[in-house]
Amino acid sequence: MSSPHYPEGTVRALLQTDLVTEATKAALLPRLQTTPYTPQLFDASTYELLRAVAACIYPQPEREYPIELAPVIDKRLAEGDSDGWRYDVMPPDREAYRVGLGGINQAAEAMYQQPFVVLARDQQNLVMEAVAAGTAAGTNWQRLPIDRFFEELLAELTEAYYSHPLAQEEIGYVGMADVPGWSHLEPNQLEPREPEAL
Amino acid sequence: MPDEEVLEEGVLNPIKPEIQDPLLKSILAEDEEFAAASPVELEQSAPLPDPVDEVDCVVIGTGAGGAPLLARLAMAGLKVVALEAGPRRDPTKEYATDEKAQHFLFWNDERLSAGKTPVAFGNNNSGTGVGGSTLHYTAYTPRAHRGDLSLFTDFGKGVDWPFGIEELEPYYEELEHFLGVSGPASYPWDPNRRKSYPLAPLPLNGAALLMQKACADLGIRTSPAANAALSARYYQEGIGWREACTNRGFCQAGCNRGAKASMDVTFLPLAESYGAEIRSDAFVTEIERDAQGRITAVVYEQYGEQKRQRCRHLFLCAGAVETPRLLLLNELALTSGQVGKNFMAHPGMQVWGTFANDIRPYKGIPGGLISEDTHRPADADFVGGYLLQSIGVMPVTFASQMVRQRKLWGQPLRDYMRNYNHVAGINILGDCLPHQSNFLELAEEKDARGLPKPRVHFSAQENEQRMNTHAEKLMRQIWQAAGAQDIWAFERYAHTIGTARMGLSGDDAVVNADGRAFDVPNLYICDNSVFPSALSVNPALTIMALSLRTADKFLAAQQRLDR
Repeated sequence: MSSPHYPEGTVRALLQTDLVTEATKAALLPRLQTTPYTPQLFDASTYELLRAVAACIYPQPEREYPIELAPVIDKRLAEGDSDGWRYDVMPPDREAYRVGLGGINQAAEAMYQQPFVVLARDQQNLVMEAVAAGTAAGTNWQRLPIDRFFEELLAELTEAYYSHPLAQEEIGYVGMADVPGWSHLEPNQLEPREPEAL
Repeated sequence: MPDEEVLEEGVLNPIKPEIQDPLLKSILAEDEEFAAASPVELEQSAPLPDPVDEVDCVVIGTGAGGAPLLARLAMAGLKVVALEAGPRRDPTKEYATDEKAQHFLFWNDERLSAGKTPVAFGNNNSGTGVGGSTLHYTAYTPRAHRGDLSLFTDFGKGVDWPFGIEELEPYYEELEHFLGVSGPASYPWDPNRRKSYPLAPLPLNGAALLMQKACADLGIRTSPAANAALSARYYQEGIGWREACTNRGFCQAGCNRGAKASMDVTFLPLAESYGAEIRSDAFVTEIERDAQGRITAVVYEQYGEQKRQRCRHLFLCAGAVETPRLLLLNELALTSGQVGKNFMAHPGMQVWGTFANDIRPYKGIPGGLISEDTHRPADADFVGGYLLQSIGVMPVTFASQMVRQRKLWGQPLRDYMRNYNHVAGINILGDCLPHQSNFLELAEEKDARGLPKPRVHFSAQENEQRMNTHAEKLMRQIWQAAGAQDIWAFERYAHTIGTARMGLSGDDAVVNADGRAFDVPNLYICDNSVFPSALSVNPALTIMALSLRTADKFLAAQQRLDR
């Protein structure tokens, strides 16, 4: 079955109402800001590489201002924050990102003799396919398990993306409208504040 | 402030400073040899402030293991202090309905996950803050079964608990009524229970209703599950009224109403009303002993300062990772050789499907429906069994697990996630056998405090693999019967269990049947680390039952000494 589309603006509108607690508004509203971000950890070229990789995993051609995912990763690594665990086969997170992003560039060079950021989107996708399949070329993969790197990269980008109010609009999620509680729990029973698919 | 004190003679202080420089290391090693050979006085550690005089009991950790006994000990008139590594927060004002913002609920100090099926920590199973992991538990509170405590007797594999279910039942009853557990009037898999649940079940959400109908079609019995979240307002002594659940569906990222029976809205305020003191942001690093091996004090860091609390008894309730880590760091209670061993994690395989129905999986108590027909399946080729439950899910958790399993990226990833409102899941919670290759150790790698990180080895063994295979097949059948499309399974492992097991002998267990360490007379351990086997049910209710029981056993022993 084809997946549903939801109307735009639902979460943004809810965040302006008293259906959302102050604590929840304080968490979500800042994520809507599109002010430019200056990387704190990565150097400029590595940061652009991370942005390009993020854009490959989460392509957003329809958005004038795509949801920026690289700042979330750069900020976390700069602060030394963690999600509480790490695969023992992986080096510490900063090292893993440095080596893994370098490995993506090595794969791009091996396939197209050019760094990842300058490749056309189709070429980037083929490089990413090789990384996802664990077949990408590059000496860096000898010291970093490519499957675990891809899994961790994907999971972190995903958590960043679906934490964004616009991504939550995209999937029809309005659980942040937490003040009134929910009384219509049965399948196909919606509350007035729950958007219907278009 | 009290006068500065000098460490008592004979205090052991086994945490060694971290020395990375090989040259300095070799110089110090030479110095040590020299010191050992000559009759000079050993250098004393710097004196620490001693904020309060000796108390009867210090409790480390305020989760399901520490909070109930803290209240019990305070109610018995003892002077008790709890040390909680995490912060104290006001859920009604500070909790957001946002998974990322609730990151602070989890134990985010990095642990190293090794083995063939590495266990995820953090938001998978490890909490922090006043209330511990109960701040993020799903409130799912089934009782353990008689047979869960006698796996070795029944199957010749695994281990028995040192007592039977009748030791826990009175505490289960007490807890269900104290916490205000919502559940069915009669429970199909335990028809002989003496009291029913005090509150009616919480309403079933989309996933629960789909599972209920499909299971009925397949001849599998189901029941609304026991959940420690209030289906109606509830009054508790020492606390006051707690409001009913509003079906916010956010239990695993913190309840902002006090409807869920986490420790911060139940046992901890009760304990405080009887004079217990709870110190938050207090990270314990050292446990001091006298020459006889009795614990004399606990050293902790709070707001950048090192502090000491002297105590007559210590209750270690820090969970199955931090409890053994503290014991190993302090070289405490190690004579059995079992500290860190027998790490277990519940098989928690999930099966997801996409439905034509609009489900909105963020609504309602996540684990609304249960079946325990699989507790001892007739066609099992494994030891023990599992329970089945319907699951609601928050979007970020769902997306994160989904990509780890399915590795979708690019447009197919965004397309799949637009089905979020149409996905529903079921999962199992199954027994896990202790195995020698599953254990916790201290790694060379240090954390920000300079302490070794814990490394946890876990490889699902044949029994867990067989159980997973059985469960995946059954759950796929149920979801097919319910009309799901695009069904996929996620193999995962939940809860940290074992690592300081309870038993009858100090040769193969760390604590005795009362929870007291065999080799340290004034040390009690109470959390999921003492579980000899994993149980086929979620652990929180049993941890709380053990906690009350440990307090009662301790108090009875003290009374005997007084006579």
